[in-house]
Amino acid sequence: MTDITLAVALPLLGAFLLPLLKEPALRWLGRLLGPVLLALTAVIIAFNWTALETPYVVALGNFAPPLGIAFYIDTMALLFALAVPITTLLLWPGINDEQAVRRESLTLLLVASLVGLALSGDLFNMYVFYELAAVASYGLAAGSGSSAGFVAAFRYLLISALGSVVALLGIGLIYFTTGTLNLAHLASLSDQLANPQGLAAFAMLVIGFGVKAELFPVNGWVPDLYAAASKRVSALLAGLASKLAVLVIVRVLLLVFPYEETRQLLLILGILGVISGELAALQARDVTRMLAWSSIGQLGVVFIAFSLPGEAGVVAGIVVALHHLVVKSALFLLADKWGGAIAALRGAGVRSKLAAGLFVLFALSLLGFPPLPGFWSKFLVLSGLAAAGDPLQLMAMAAVLIGTVIEGAYLLRVVVTLYSKPDSEAPPMKHSLANLASTGVFALALIGAALFVMPLWPPLSDMGKTAANTDAYIETVLADPEVKQP
Amino acid sequence: MMRSVATVLFLGGLTFLLLVITNSLNFGQPPMLIGEAIRYAAPENVGAGNLVTAVVLGYRGLDTLGELSILFAAATAGGLVLGTAHSRAKQASGFILRTGADLMFPLLLVVGLYIVIHGHLTPGGGFQGGVVLAAAFFLPLLARPGESLNHSLLSVVEGLAGAAFIGIGVYALAQGEAFLTPLFDKGVLGELVSSGSLPLLYLAVGLKVGSELASLLMRLAGDDEVTS
Repeated sequence: MTDITLAVALPLLGAFLLPLLKEPALRWLGRLLGPVLLALTAVIIAFNWTALETPYVVALGNFAPPLGIAFYIDTMALLFALAVPITTLLLWPGINDEQAVRRESLTLLLVASLVGLALSGDLFNMYVFYELAAVASYGLAAGSGSSAGFVAAFRYLLISALGSVVALLGIGLIYFTTGTLNLAHLASLSDQLANPQGLAAFAMLVIGFGVKAELFPVNGWVPDLYAAASKRVSALLAGLASKLAVLVIVRVLLLVFPYEETRQLLLILGILGVISGELAALQARDVTRMLAWSSIGQLGVVFIAFSLPGEAGVVAGIVVALHHLVVKSALFLLADKWGGAIAALRGAGVRSKLAAGLFVLFALSLLGFPPLPGFWSKFLVLSGLAAAGDPLQLMAMAAVLIGTVIEGAYLLRVVVTLYSKPDSEAPPMKHSLANLASTGVFALALIGAALFVMPLWPPLSDMGKTAANTDAYIETVLADPEVKQP
Repeated sequence: MMRSVATVLFLGGLTFLLLVITNSLNFGQPPMLIGEAIRYAAPENVGAGNLVTAVVLGYRGLDTLGELSILFAAATAGGLVLGTAHSRAKQASGFILRTGADLMFPLLLVVGLYIVIHGHLTPGGGFQGGVVLAAAFFLPLLARPGESLNHSLLSVVEGLAGAAFIGIGVYALAQGEAFLTPLFDKGVLGELVSSGSLPLLYLAVGLKVGSELASLLMRLAGDDEVTS
């Protein structure tokens, strides 16, 4: 019973059953259920990874694709799927108040949908999981209970709903043109989409799924929401959920729209995201807002990386995305107690040395200080851009470099404030043990990646090669010749 | 002022874009690759008289589970936002309203269950029938302000119905099939007991949608006596 579909089914089952366990006598069981299911999900995915030899397909309901829904299992899918339960376990909402059951239910729903996004090989199925992730995150974001939180969550809901409609329109356009929704089948028919309608459909998908991925024009909800929501939720949305939305766009880009124009669209939006995000972060006077804007800038770099053609782009994108996942989640956890104005942090680093040390570590990695993984992520992006060498790519290089300089300015400003002399007897801001422990795990992951760069490289490069190999994807999914010609 | 000008410009641009796209589409002969294939394969493979059900619960069963979860997420999020108890003026309603509601109750119950149970044969199914069931339970409440349904019972029904849907899917997994593979004998096309486990799935969907919607409606009506 280690079928990979259980990685979606188990969290869903847990979410449905949790409300049954809210009676005081059963509550201990309910409090245990979520973390246990997440650990189980992680084990199932890890087990499937170790057993994986070549990419394979799971035909749900035994209906062979493209008629039925298919999960496509390769190492990239498993890597992102595995990141979901592990990160969520570290960011699990531990508070035990009267709304805890609902919050935990929503978190499990979010996990199920994000794992589904990583594994799914069907465009409409991805849309369903994306919607589930969106609705669950509205709830989690509004769950902070403050009126600012409600306003931010409502704004997010409106933008996200608009994005969903646009994405659905794009999917409808694709279905109307080709008559299928399976990604492999679409990939084999991608000639029919190499026209203005097809590009419009792609642009709609990018705008729609881009809402969660904090893509440039549709990210207005980000700073308010992250500032108002609980920091664990912000970390979950900025660190984890955005990456899975990126993954959807990347899959569609690689398989169905592998054209110069589509890559350029992502590249341009990425550049604009880097510039606008970093400049706004420089202006921010509040730590959470600064992190939120910086997250927009970082996701711009992710899009720039994935816009690089071929294997190099996939590898660079995965590295930048995972690095951002670890670093931004950890920084948001630290911002739980340091969330207010930057100026109020004077001397906070002297009072809690460990937290300040962790902040410095993550800030340095975000900047790309060698030998931390952030250096390698930026190195991969920049070398990829330099190799491509078109004017647009050179512009992207300049944007990434300028972005790094601005990042340095605002992150070091915070570091300097942390270590400056406290000017008054401000109350000590003690970090909760749970937050520090989770941040510590993220720090270990970061240092581990820095130490094992060399052993990590071959599997990563393999992952990129497999993910960029469209022919193999089509071959694997549509192996049955009967299916190809219904 | 600037804002409304920008809004108008944006909306105008969007409309223009959509019109251009619509205009360039080839209406009339859409390629029905998957649609045609399913149309020929479904009666034999799934055995549901209603082709839509074959798609909804068979070919795209996972999507239906996803939709179910979206509804659940929306109800849960709604509960999180509206979670606190409201007190509300309790005004007694008149004889005609009360009796009318009582008369409607069994009628709605029968119609709702009929739609759910015949989902694999006729248009309708768990979602539509579930909504009618929710209305059946909500109507008497509207007629009798101050009374309230049993919240914990509703959430038990809701949780178990959702678990049953997944349970049927996992049972197929335990049999060595893929997740959500239709089980049991397909029977004779068009009979009430046919198309394997699909009617059971629709029953689960109907109960879940019904209980979920009923509790959501009550919460919106401010009748949420249980705060958790």
